[in-house]
Amino acid sequence: MNRFVIADWEKCIGCNTCMAGCVDVHERAGLAAYPRLHVTRLENATMPLQCRNCDDAPCEKVCPVRAITFEDRSVQLNESVCIGCKLCALVCPFGAITPHGTKPRGEESLAYGHVLRVGPPMPQGEESPLYGTYPLMLPEPDLRPDAVHPLLQWLIGERTVAVKCDLCHWRPQGPECVRVCPTDALRLVDEDNVTELIEKRRVQTFHDHPAGG
Amino acid sequence: MPDAKTVCPYCGTGCSMRLITKGNQIVEVEADRESPVNEGNLCLKGYFGFHHVASPARLTTPMMRREDGRFAPAGWDAALDVVARKLADIKRESGPDAIVIFSTARSTNEENYVTQKFARAVLGTNNVDHCARLCHAPTTSGLEMTLGAGAMTNTIGELSRHSDVIFICGSNTAECHPIVASHVIKAKARGAKLIVADPRKNEMVKHADLWLGVPIGHDIPLLNAMMHVIIKEGLHKADFIREHTDGFDDLARAVANYPPERVSQMTGIPAEDLVKAGRWYANAGAASTLYAMGVTQFTCGTGNVVSIANLAVITGQIGRPGAGVCPLRGQNNIQGAGDLGAVPNEFPGCYKVTDDAARARFEKAWNSPLSSKIGLRLTEVPAAILDGKVRAVICDGENPMLTDPSTRHFARAVEKLDLLMVTDIFLSETARRAHVVLPACGWGGRKGTFINTERRVQRVRAAVRARGETKAAWWIFRSLSERLGFDGMRYRSPEDVWNEVRTVVPEQWGGVSYARLDKEPGVCHPCPTEDHPGTPILHVGGRFATPSGRAQLKPVLFDPVEVPESERKAFASPIVGHIAERPDADYPFIFTTGRVAAHYHTGNMTRRSPVLEQIAPEALFELNPEDARDLGLRDGEYIRVTTRRGSVVSKAWVTGRVSPKLVFGTFHYWETPANELTNSENLDPYCFIPEFKISAARVVKITPAEAQASVEAQRRYFRQDVEAAAIIAENAYLQSHGDAA
Repeated sequence: MNRFVIADWEKCIGCNTCMAGCVDVHERAGLAAYPRLHVTRLENATMPLQCRNCDDAPCEKVCPVRAITFEDRSVQLNESVCIGCKLCALVCPFGAITPHGTKPRGEESLAYGHVLRVGPPMPQGEESPLYGTYPLMLPEPDLRPDAVHPLLQWLIGERTVAVKCDLCHWRPQGPECVRVCPTDALRLVDEDNVTELIEKRRVQTFHDHPAGG
Repeated sequence: MPDAKTVCPYCGTGCSMRLITKGNQIVEVEADRESPVNEGNLCLKGYFGFHHVASPARLTTPMMRREDGRFAPAGWDAALDVVARKLADIKRESGPDAIVIFSTARSTNEENYVTQKFARAVLGTNNVDHCARLCHAPTTSGLEMTLGAGAMTNTIGELSRHSDVIFICGSNTAECHPIVASHVIKAKARGAKLIVADPRKNEMVKHADLWLGVPIGHDIPLLNAMMHVIIKEGLHKADFIREHTDGFDDLARAVANYPPERVSQMTGIPAEDLVKAGRWYANAGAASTLYAMGVTQFTCGTGNVVSIANLAVITGQIGRPGAGVCPLRGQNNIQGAGDLGAVPNEFPGCYKVTDDAARARFEKAWNSPLSSKIGLRLTEVPAAILDGKVRAVICDGENPMLTDPSTRHFARAVEKLDLLMVTDIFLSETARRAHVVLPACGWGGRKGTFINTERRVQRVRAAVRARGETKAAWWIFRSLSERLGFDGMRYRSPEDVWNEVRTVVPEQWGGVSYARLDKEPGVCHPCPTEDHPGTPILHVGGRFATPSGRAQLKPVLFDPVEVPESERKAFASPIVGHIAERPDADYPFIFTTGRVAAHYHTGNMTRRSPVLEQIAPEALFELNPEDARDLGLRDGEYIRVTTRRGSVVSKAWVTGRVSPKLVFGTFHYWETPANELTNSENLDPYCFIPEFKISAARVVKITPAEAQASVEAQRRYFRQDVEAAAIIAENAYLQSHGDAA
C-alpha cells in the first residue's frame, strides 16, 4: 500500500513550521529548496496539503520522461530527470505538485557557491539588490542523494522542475514535517495504521449496527 | 565549543533548546524534551532562526561617526572614552536627567540589572526604560493595581493539563506564541472549551468553540457584559469576593450598565454569545484567560487589563492550577527586564523609586544616592529631546526607528541629540543614526539568565565564541562606570552580577542560583531560598500581592467616543476607556498591526535566516473581499495605506480573516514600515502606552511600478549605508586581527 503524510486540521495552528522544516531538510540534501507541502488557509480551517502518493498516480502516468516513478510504496520524482513540462501538476487531483524555478538566491550557484546571498523580494519579480550574505551550509557529501545529477546542481534555478513530497525517503527518522510540527498535526499513514484503523472501525460497526444495517 | 542548552531568543514563551555546533557555528537546533514549557517542541523561529549569529553583517568592532557622516572603526578604549567624556559633560551642564537609557528585553537579566544600576547609581537618573512600554505596560499597571503583581499568574503547562475553559482575548496565539498555542490544542483534545475574542478570524478562532468577533478596541464592554451575566445569574463566587476582595459593589454597579443586549448593539456580537461566554467561563472548574497586544496597545490598555482581572477575581478563577490571568509576553526576557528594574518608576523587584524605604535599601546596596523622581517613559523621550530636555540617549539593542510609533517623529528627534550611543548586533536602522556604535555579544555567544512569560528563570548559555570584539552590555556599562569614577561594578562574569541581584532582592531571587538552574528546568520566582520550590502559581488561596492582601476590583467604563459625565460621576475613581482615533470620511478604514509566525519584530534576526525569509518574504496586508471589490483589487495586487502620520505600500491579501473596513499589517519589514502609520500621540494615562492597534486610514490601489518606487524610497531612507558601514567594520576588524574572525 502507498504511504503518505496527512494533516489534522483540528490540530493545525498554521504556524508554517512544517514548510520551514521541509525547505531546510531538502536544501541540506541538495534538492530544490522549496516547500513540498503548503499550509492552506480557508476562512474556517487551516492545514498543510501535500502529496497523497496515490497507488495509481496520474502524475506517474503522464510524465513523458519517467521522472516520476512508484518506488518504496511512494511516488518519487527525480528532479534531475524532470523536464519541467508541468503535466503532472495539471493532472494532480490534490494540487500537490508545484512547478518551481529554483532561482539562485545569490551570485553563485546554490549548490556549489560558498556564499548565499538573500535580498528582499521585489514587486514584479525583479532581482533585488542584495543586502545580506550568509555562509551556505553544504550538505555532507554522503548526504547528497545519488538521484541528484550534477547537471541539475549546475542548472538549479535556471529552469523549472516539478517539486513534490518525497517523504524525506533518505532519512531514517522519516518526514521532517511530522517531526517538527509543534502540535502533532501531521502523521505518516502506512499500511499498518490503516489496517489498524479499518479493523477498529469494523468492530465499531459491529457494535453500532449488529444487524449489519 | 560543545553543544549548549539554552533558551530561544524570540518570544516570551521561553522554549528550551540545544544548539548543535560545528566548529564555531550553530548548524542545527534541537528541542528540549525535558522542558516543562515546550515539551520537545519548537516553532519555526526556534528551529531556523539562528543564521543571524554567523552573519558576516554582524557588528564586530566599535565604530564612531566621522565628520563626513560615515562610520570609522575605533577601538573599545577610544569609543568608551568618548562616550564617558560626553556623558560627564552633559551631566555637569544639564543634569543627569538629560541622559536617557533604553535597555532591552532582548538581553539578559544580568545586563538589564547592570544597565539600570548604571542609570540610577552612576548617572543619577531614573531615565531608563525598555520596549515593554510598547507592549505590556498595561499589564504591569493593570495587574499591579488589581492583583498586586504585574505578571502571568500561572504556568504554561497548566493550560494543557488543568484548564477546562481557555479564554483567548486579544492574543494571536498561533502566530505569536505557537508553543503556547500547542498547549491550547492539547487542552482541546482533553475536552477543554476554547473561547476566542478577536476582531480577526485568526488561526485560534478556527479552533474556537465560541468566537466573539469584537470590534477592535471594544474589549471593556465585552468583558463588562460577561460580568453582567455572571453577576445577574449569581455565578460569581460571593464567599471568595467577601473574604479576598475590595470594591465589588462599585464593580457590580458599573457592569449593571452593560447588559448583553446593549453591548450587542455596541459591538455586533450576538447577545446570546455574550451570555454563553460568561456562563462557560464562570462555571468552568478552572478557566484561564490568555491575552496580549490585542488588549494592551490601546489608550485604555490598563482598563482592558483591569477588566480581565476583575472577571477572573469575581469568578474565583485565579490562584489554582489552570485558573489564572495569563499575559503572554512578547519577548524572550521582557518579564526579566521589567522585574530587574529597567523601568523609570521601579527598582529591581518592582519597588517604587518614590518609596523612601525602597530607595534607602538600594542606596545602601549600591552605595550611592538615588533619585526619587520618576524617569521619562520611552514614549515621552522624542518630545523631551525636541524640547531640549534630553541630550543623550544610550540605546542598548533596541531599534526604535522601526518599532516606535510614528517613526518619522522619532527620527527628527534623534537628529537633535548630542550623543546617541547604540549597542547592537547589527547596524540597525537606529544604529545608522548613532554617533557611537558598539558591537554587542548577542544570543548564541551570550551567557546569563532570561525570565519567560510564566516567571521562569532559565539559564542562557553560549554555543559559539563571541564574534570579533563583541562585548556583553554588563561589560560595557562596567567599563563606562569605571571611567566615570564609580567603584561598585567590579563584575567579572554574569554570575557575579546575578549573585549581587540575589543578595539585593533575596525575596524574589535569593534561592535561584546558577548551580540550581543547571540542575532544574528553571525556577519560577518569587523564590527566596535555595530550598524554596519557586512559585508557579501566584495568589494561591486568595492571598493577593497587594499591600492589603486583597484584590482591588475597579469599575471600568467605556464608550467609543466618550463616557457620559453622568455615568462617570457615579463612581469615585473609575477607569474610563474610549477610542482615540476613530474612522471618519477622510480616513474610513481602521489599520491595525501584528506579527506573523515566521518573523520577529523588525526582522534584524529572522530576516537573516534564508528559510524564514523564504516562508514570509514580504508584507501581506489583509483586506476584506468587500473592500477589495470596491477598490477593484485582486488578491496579490498592491495597496497604499495612508494615515495622518504617514503612508506605506504593501501587497494585499484579500481574505475574510478581517472584517470590512479593517486592514491588518505586520511591522516586520523595512520595505513596509507599518509603524509610520501608527499613532504616538494618544497615550494610556496610567502607563503611557500608545494606541498602536488603531489608526484611521485610507486605502488605495496602486500599480506594481508605484509599489517598486516606494520600496526604493524606503531603501534610501532605511538601508542606505547599512551594508557599506558593516563592510567597513568587517574589513577594519580583519586588518587588525588577520583572518582569525
